[in-house]
Amino acid sequence: VSDVFIEETLRKWLDAHYDPVAGLYTFSSCVDLADLSGDGESRLVVGDLGSGSSGMKLKVYRGTALMSESTLLDLPAGLVAFFMDLHEPRIPAVAVASGPCVYVYKNLRPYFKFTLPGLEVNSLEQDVWQQAREGQIDPLTLKEMLEGVRKKADIPLSVRSLRFLSLETSDMDEFVQLHKQQPIRRQTVITCIGTLKKSTADEDGVSCLVIGTESSDVYVLDPEAFIILSKMSLPAAPTMMDVTGQFDVEFRITAACRNGNIYILRRESDKPKYCIELSSHPVGLVRVGKNVVVGCTDESLQGFTQKGKKLWRTILPAPITTMAAMDLPTRGFQAVLVGLANCEVQLYRDKNLLSTIKTPDVVTSICFGRYGREDGTLIMTTKGGGLIVKILKRTAAFDDKDSAPGPPLAQSVRLNVPKKTKLYVDQTLRERENGLAMHRAFQMDLSRLRLAAAKAYVKALESSLTPMSSSLTEPLKMNAVVQGLGPSFKLTLNVQNTAACRPVMNLAISFLYDESLYRMRNPYMKIPLLVPGLIYPVETFVECTSDKGISDIIKVFILHEGKSSPLLTAHINMPVSEGLTLN
Amino acid sequence: MGLLDKLSGWLGLRKKEVNVLCLGLDNSGKTTIINQLKPANMQAQEIVPTIGFNIEKFKSSSLSFTVFDMSGQSRYRNLWEHYYKESHAIIFVIDSSDKLRMVVAKEELDTLLNHEDIRSKKIPVLFFANKMDLRDAMSSVKVTQMLCLENIKDKPWHICASNAIEGEGLQEGLDWLQEEQVFKTLSEI
Ligand SMILES: Nc1nc2c(ncn2[C@@H]2O[C@H](COP(=O)(O)OP(=O)(O)OP(=O)(O)O)[C@@H](O)[C@H]2O)c(=O)[nH]1
Ligand SMILES: [Mg+2]
Repeated sequence: VSDVFIEETLRKWLDAHYDPVAGLYTFSSCVDLADLSGDGESRLVVGDLGSGSSGMKLKVYRGTALMSESTLLDLPAGLVAFFMDLHEPRIPAVAVASGPCVYVYKNLRPYFKFTLPGLEVNSLEQDVWQQAREGQIDPLTLKEMLEGVRKKADIPLSVRSLRFLSLETSDMDEFVQLHKQQPIRRQTVITCIGTLKKSTADEDGVSCLVIGTESSDVYVLDPEAFIILSKMSLPAAPTMMDVTGQFDVEFRITAACRNGNIYILRRESDKPKYCIELSSHPVGLVRVGKNVVVGCTDESLQGFTQKGKKLWRTILPAPITTMAAMDLPTRGFQAVLVGLANCEVQLYRDKNLLSTIKTPDVVTSICFGRYGREDGTLIMTTKGGGLIVKILKRTAAFDDKDSAPGPPLAQSVRLNVPKKTKLYVDQTLRERENGLAMHRAFQMDLSRLRLAAAKAYVKALESSLTPMSSSLTEPLKMNAVVQGLGPSFKLTLNVQNTAACRPVMNLAISFLYDESLYRMRNPYMKIPLLVPGLIYPVETFVECTSDKGISDIIKVFILHEGKSSPLLTAHINMPVSEGLTLN
Repeated sequence: MGLLDKLSGWLGLRKKEVNVLCLGLDNSGKTTIINQLKPANMQAQEIVPTIGFNIEKFKSSSLSFTVFDMSGQSRYRNLWEHYYKESHAIIFVIDSSDKLRMVVAKEELDTLLNHEDIRSKKIPVLFFANKMDLRDAMSSVKVTQMLCLENIKDKPWHICASNAIEGEGLQEGLDWLQEEQVFKTLSEI
C-alpha cells in the first residue's frame, strides 16, 4: 500500500525542499504567506513558539532560506498578514497575537501594539485591596478575605489576587508592598485571530483584524486606527475562527468554541445566529466555498452548510493534528488538507479522499498557497521542527474516483425520464379528482380477494386437500420426492408429526392414480408410530406403463384407520418417463 | 534545400534560417536574454512578463534566427509543445537563484525532453544558468547537477552561466549554438 501512496504522491507533488532541522515549532494558526516585499514573490511568515517558554520568534523565509527573524515577547496565539492601508507599493503588514496584545509589524519592523480593553474588576476585591493599602488589614486577613471573594463572586479575581493567593506566607508581605499602590486590572488573552475585508472583496483590499478572546468575545478592529469597530459575544471561548465577507457589507464569523460547539456570527447581530453542536471537540475548522469542514477529536471529518446543517461525516485513519484549506482559484480547485498523527496528510474534497501524502514526521502546521512565484505550494512544519515544501505539479489532476468510499458514480447519472404524456396527465387529474372513490373501490376489492382466499383455504383444510394436517389430534406434515428417470420411479414421502409431545398411531397411506398409466407395488401402506419431530421416509416404487411420453398426477392420502376422510392430501406431479421399458 | 543553397548558406551568401525556441520558468530571464541578443538600436528599455509568446528575429555572422520567446507562467506552459516540431534549437533558461523552483524547472525540462516531437530529434539544447550575478545564485555546475543534465545522452547540449542584464555569458552560448547549427548543416550535405 505504501508504494502506491508514494507513487501517487510523486505523480502530483514535486519535493521542492525538506529541512528536518529547520527548528520551526508552530501551528497552522501561526503561519501565513504574503508578498512582504511587493516584488511578486511570496514569503513564508511564521510565529515560532520556540520551546514554549523561550525562543519565541517571528521568522520570515524566502525560498529555501531563512530571511529574517525577530524575537517575540510572548507565545504567539495566531499570526495573519493583512493590508492595513492603501499605500503603494501594496505591502501587507503582519499581525501577531500574543497574550492580551496584537503586535503589528510593517516592513518587518514593530509598528503598533494593540491591547485588549480590561475586563470588569470585582468591586469586593477592589475594596479588600483598598483596605490593605490603607493598612487596615494584614496579609493573612487579606488572603482570607480574597478566598471568600473568590468562592462566592461571579466576577473572577484578577491575576494579581490569584498570584497572591498562591504565595507562601513568608512572601506575602513583600508582594502586598510591591503591588498595593497599583490599580487592579483584569485582562483577558487572545485565543485566535483572523482578517476581514473592510469594504471591498479585492485580493489586496484593506482588512480589519478579528480577534477571539478567552473571555468569549469577538472584536473587529479598524485596520488603520486600531479602534474596536464591533464587539460580539459567544457562549464560550473561541479556539478557531473562520471569517468571510466584508465588514461594511455582510460578513460571517464561524467560531469553534471550547464547549464543543461551533457558532456562526453575522453582521446584524452581536450574538450567534446559528449553532452547530458537535459530538466531540473540534480540532480543525476550514471553510470550503460556502460550507464548513470540521475535524473532531473522535477522528472524524464533518461537513456543514453555512447555516449549520450537517452534510456528511467521514472517519479518518488517525487523530487529526492540524487542518488547512487547499484553494487553487486558477484551477477552480478547493479541498481540505488534514494532517494526521500517523504521519500522513490527507486531501479531502467533501467526504471523498483524493490523495494521501506521507510525511517523514507528524505534521503540526499546514499552509497552502502562493509561495515564491509558485501558486500551488504546500508548506508543512513537523513536530520535530522540520520544514517541508512541496509544489503541486502543473499536470496534477485529482480524481474523486480514486477514493474507494462514497456513493457509486452511477448514482449521480441522470436517468433519461421520458416527457409526461397526455394520457399520464389525464390519469393524474382523474386520480386527483376521484382519489377517495378509487381508494374505496380498491379497498373493497382487496377485502373481497382476501375473503375468497380465506374461503378457499378453509375449504382445503376442511377436506384435507393440503399436505398439512392441522387437526388437533394428528397434526402432520408431508412432502414427497420423486427420483428416477423412468419408467421406474422411486417415491419417497417424508412424514412428520408436528405435535409437541404426542405420538400418532394407526395411520396408513393410500394412493390414487390412473391405472392405465402407472403400476404401483403396494398402493396401500401402514405407517409406523410417529414420534413427534422426527421425519419418517416412507418409500415405494411406481412404474410407468405407457411409452407415449405422457405423465399424470398421483394423489397421496394419509388416512386414519377407521375413518373415511383423509387427514391430508398431496398431489404429486409425476415427471415424463424418459427411460425404456425392458420387457 | 538544394546543394547550391546549402553551400551558399554555409559560405554566408544566404544566411541559414533557424527557429529557436526559448523556454524556461517565468521570471527566469528569457525575454531579457533575447533582448540583449538583438541589435542595440532594437532593444527594449523595459521588460515585462511575457503573455503567451513573442517572436523576435535577428542575425548573427552565419545564421538568421527566429526566436519564439515563450511565456514561462504555468498557465501558458502548455503552449510550448505546439512549437516543438518547427524548432531547430532550444534555449532553456534557468533562474540560478531560485532554488525552491529548481524541481519545477526540472519537471518542465523532463516533460520537454520526453515529448514525442523532441524525444527522437537530435535537437541542440542550450542552457543558460541565468542571474549568476545574484548573491544566492547557484553555479552552473550545481544547476547541471540539480537538473540531471548529465543524463541527456542523445542530444547535444551546453550550459553557460549568464547575467542577462549585463549580457555576460550570452555570446559564449550563442557561439556554441552556431557551431552546432553549422556542423548540422555540414553533415546534411
Ligand atoms: N539580477 C538579474 N536579474 C535578471 C537577470 N536576467 C533577468 N533578470 C530580471 O528578471 C526579471 C524577469 O525577466 P524576464 O526576462 O521578464 O523573464 P522571462 O523569463 O521572460 O519571464 P516570463 O516572460 O514571465 O516567462 C526581470 O526583472 C529581469 O530584470 C540576471 O541575469 N540577473
Ligand atoms: Mg518573458
